[in-house]
Amino acid sequence: MKTQSIFPKSRPGVSGASIIDADFDTGPTDASWFDPADVREDSIGLPEMSEVDVVRHFTNLSRAAHGVDNGPYPLGSCTMKYNPKRNDVLSTLDGFAHAHPRQPEPTLQGLWDMMLELQEFIAEITGMDFVSLQPAAGAHGEFAGLLAIRRHFEQLHHDRNIILIPDSAHGTNPASAAMVGYQCKIIPTTSDGMMDLDAMEHHLDQRVAGLMLTNPSTLGLFDENIQKIAEKIHANGSLLYYDGANLNAIMGITRPGDMGFDVVHINTHKTLSTPHGGGGPGAGPVGVKAFLEKYLPAPVIRRIHGRAAPDDNRPMSAGRVKSFFGHVEVLLRAYCYILTNGADGLRTASENAVLNANYMRARLADLLPPVFAQRCMHECLLSGGSLKVNAFDFVKRLIDFGVHPPTLVGAGCVHFAKEYDAAMLIEPTESESRISLDFIIEQFRRVAREAAVAPYMIETAPHTTDVAKIIKDQNAWIQLLEATKY
Amino acid sequence: MDEKNPVNGYNVHTLKDRREMLDAIGLSSIDDLFSQIPSEIRLHRPLNLPPAQSEWELDKRLHALAAQNATTRTHLSLLGGGAYEHYIPAVVPTLTARGEYLTAYTPYQPEMSQGILRVLHDFQIVMGRMLGLPAVNCSVYDGATALAEAAWMACSITNRRHVVVTEALWPEYSQVLNTYMRGRNVTVSVIPTDAMTGSMDLEKLAGSLKDTPAAAVLTQTPNGYGVLEPIEHISKMCHSCGTLSNVSCYPMMLGCLKAPGKQGADIVTCEGQSLGLALNGGGPYLGVMATHEDNIKFLPGRIVGECDDLKMEKALALVKESREQHVARDKATSHICSNQALLAMRILVYLSAVGEHGFQKISRLNASKAHYICERLCELPGVRRTHTGHFFNEFLLDLPCETAPLLVTLQKQGIFGGIDFSRLYPNSDRKLLLAVTETKSKTELDRITDVFRRAIAELGGVIRS
Ligand SMILES: Cc1ncc(COP(=O)(O)O)c(C=O)c1O
Repeated sequence: MKTQSIFPKSRPGVSGASIIDADFDTGPTDASWFDPADVREDSIGLPEMSEVDVVRHFTNLSRAAHGVDNGPYPLGSCTMKYNPKRNDVLSTLDGFAHAHPRQPEPTLQGLWDMMLELQEFIAEITGMDFVSLQPAAGAHGEFAGLLAIRRHFEQLHHDRNIILIPDSAHGTNPASAAMVGYQCKIIPTTSDGMMDLDAMEHHLDQRVAGLMLTNPSTLGLFDENIQKIAEKIHANGSLLYYDGANLNAIMGITRPGDMGFDVVHINTHKTLSTPHGGGGPGAGPVGVKAFLEKYLPAPVIRRIHGRAAPDDNRPMSAGRVKSFFGHVEVLLRAYCYILTNGADGLRTASENAVLNANYMRARLADLLPPVFAQRCMHECLLSGGSLKVNAFDFVKRLIDFGVHPPTLVGAGCVHFAKEYDAAMLIEPTESESRISLDFIIEQFRRVAREAAVAPYMIETAPHTTDVAKIIKDQNAWIQLLEATKY
Repeated sequence: MDEKNPVNGYNVHTLKDRREMLDAIGLSSIDDLFSQIPSEIRLHRPLNLPPAQSEWELDKRLHALAAQNATTRTHLSLLGGGAYEHYIPAVVPTLTARGEYLTAYTPYQPEMSQGILRVLHDFQIVMGRMLGLPAVNCSVYDGATALAEAAWMACSITNRRHVVVTEALWPEYSQVLNTYMRGRNVTVSVIPTDAMTGSMDLEKLAGSLKDTPAAAVLTQTPNGYGVLEPIEHISKMCHSCGTLSNVSCYPMMLGCLKAPGKQGADIVTCEGQSLGLALNGGGPYLGVMATHEDNIKFLPGRIVGECDDLKMEKALALVKESREQHVARDKATSHICSNQALLAMRILVYLSAVGEHGFQKISRLNASKAHYICERLCELPGVRRTHTGHFFNEFLLDLPCETAPLLVTLQKQGIFGGIDFSRLYPNSDRKLLLAVTETKSKTELDRITDVFRRAIAELGGVIRS
């Protein structure tokens, strides 16, 4: 059945949870309160429903959705790991949920203590000296980090306005750079999946402020040249920015700070298990090496006279990026996740994430050969080029068998060059057991078998969802391929 | 590496699984998986983090932290300033906590996400009705970034690189605006407010618009002094100069007051927190943006729209993606990728749960309770409202004593008495900003008035002439 909008279900005169307060006039708006010209005369158009009908409406709609709670979600680059239930409960305790951000500072000591500790945890995990928890998501962390870089060069009176970005970078990288006022220069990827070092050097001059890199990259590969890259970038007086979307591969194994990165953002909704909520909210803590600390957005949480407290007195700051202190509820979940895991648990998470991706890569190699020879990290890019159907149709059929499709080019989360237009980026995450991985693998095989005998079943998939295959994607697909050419 | 297997409920593999999987890959140890990572940059020690905690230990620790915070539940709070304590019906968190919503990613696969897409589509419709303009996105980070993104939208639409903004923005909003505009090379000029009414100085605005062509005038209503702005008038002034009228509003007022979009505003934004979101110590909240259909291609963020499926039946999907970062990259309208979708869902559930009449009633309760206590407090010696302009549920008072010690005294009686205005704006001694919502009963408001009376008397307020 198709989903229904709530509005036609409205039955005026029926209403759920309104508040009654007999002490106050709930009749028409008092004429003296407002300018009569401003007073609302018509209705807004909100639905009116009994509470039970509201509950049924949203409960039934939820049946036409798929979360990690429902089944495997190997959506490459998005790290759809299990979102622990204890974190749902512990992030919404009254002491946090009902705390007003403008309360006197000493009345929020629990908040400051948590934030300071979390800053320190993330600094340790990423190998940075200082972390700000203010940014609202990964892209916002990029923005704050790039602002710090810009401020740094402004202070040095260096006129650097170019950011280098590999062609495999996520779209938020160039978009954030543009918002900070940078021009982007795109570095191609070599056929073995590494950033093209020669091309990078070619672009490296005194106008370059920095290079934004994801390592492991969005192609699932660890860039072995990272030390060389860092050396060259720094020798040029430029800075190195780490997009931490793929940090899930390396927790406790290596750290961006030790690789030579100067600025790092992470996505708590990827690496640190906070739920993505069908689109957000996430959180995008940004970490920097000590020399950039003064440029982080105000306020930051520090120890002041032995107590954690927000510090607003930051004359060198590159500015504020959102109201208040950050996504507290989300950050609490990340905090719980780190405490639950400890050092061993985080390392095991990364080990298992990389193990799972390599297991899938190995077990699917005959069907979907890896695009790159190098072993993958937490996600693998596999080629659908030898399938009997196109990759877009192929993955839609997985939906019928309870598996969320992997990431494809133009799917909204990552960017691949045109050569990889039939490739699939599969990120099982550490949350899938071997039984689950074998199940996912079997669904891929089943679809491949079907492709040989009944391709129309695949071309018209999915068949078990509320709606049939959505056409707009087919057109968007072509447009995207056009649009993503450099 | 030694074989260990932490048990924390999140590790899904036995040691045997791991060995067999390594076999399948053709590797002999977990370490081999990471052989591409040069040894010099490896961390050859465990991360320095506290030891892993079992669920009950974690539970104790979080409860202990939470207990260190006072809240709007432990105190009677008159705090506002852009975040408001409103009642949240239980259906709101209950329904949005469903795993199908909570643990999904952005609906990149529309066929298996019609439920989420439907909720977000209805959210867009409901916010379009609330704000009075039809084209709404699926949310941005918060009210402040919504204001800043809308300013850049106006620059793109008008091809101008200058915006005019009221001085009476929440200070965080103007800081965020400045951060966002600096990178885009947009200049910002500030229009003062009229000292008596507290609303925008329209003469100064006219002068500014004449001097420099502006992409938009950014108005906040109620403004940072709680005063409602004449949106219709400001919008007319804008339009006569080819300037857009951008309005950032407090959506709770919309049960009593006309939608800014119906009063000539071209881009309306708001902080959605008051519509069913917990205060959460400052976040996550969400920014809502609404504009005319013609401006859609300038909107940042996700948009859900109708399209056809293979059977030529109507379905929902993310649409108009050519604006977005994954397609347009450095030319995108914004970098936003993850947004505040779950909170958008909360807003739809909230507005559906309270319904048309319920919402209007709640909105009126806010206004009537605020006007009630404002009158009571202004009866106290030396206390008066700073401005004459109309207000909704937040207002600024001139005090006969210093603000800080008054707030300390009130806090000792279990009351967060409002915001010391000098913390928001410079040169505003002896001023207090108070917000009152539907959550305060008459008994509580009378008690608060009483405590104020005694506190002011105690502090020996010198009555100003
Ligand atoms: C590599 C990479 N960078 C950046 C982002 C943007 O992160 P967010 O959605 O948290 O803004 C993503 C998210 O998909 C990503 O995969």
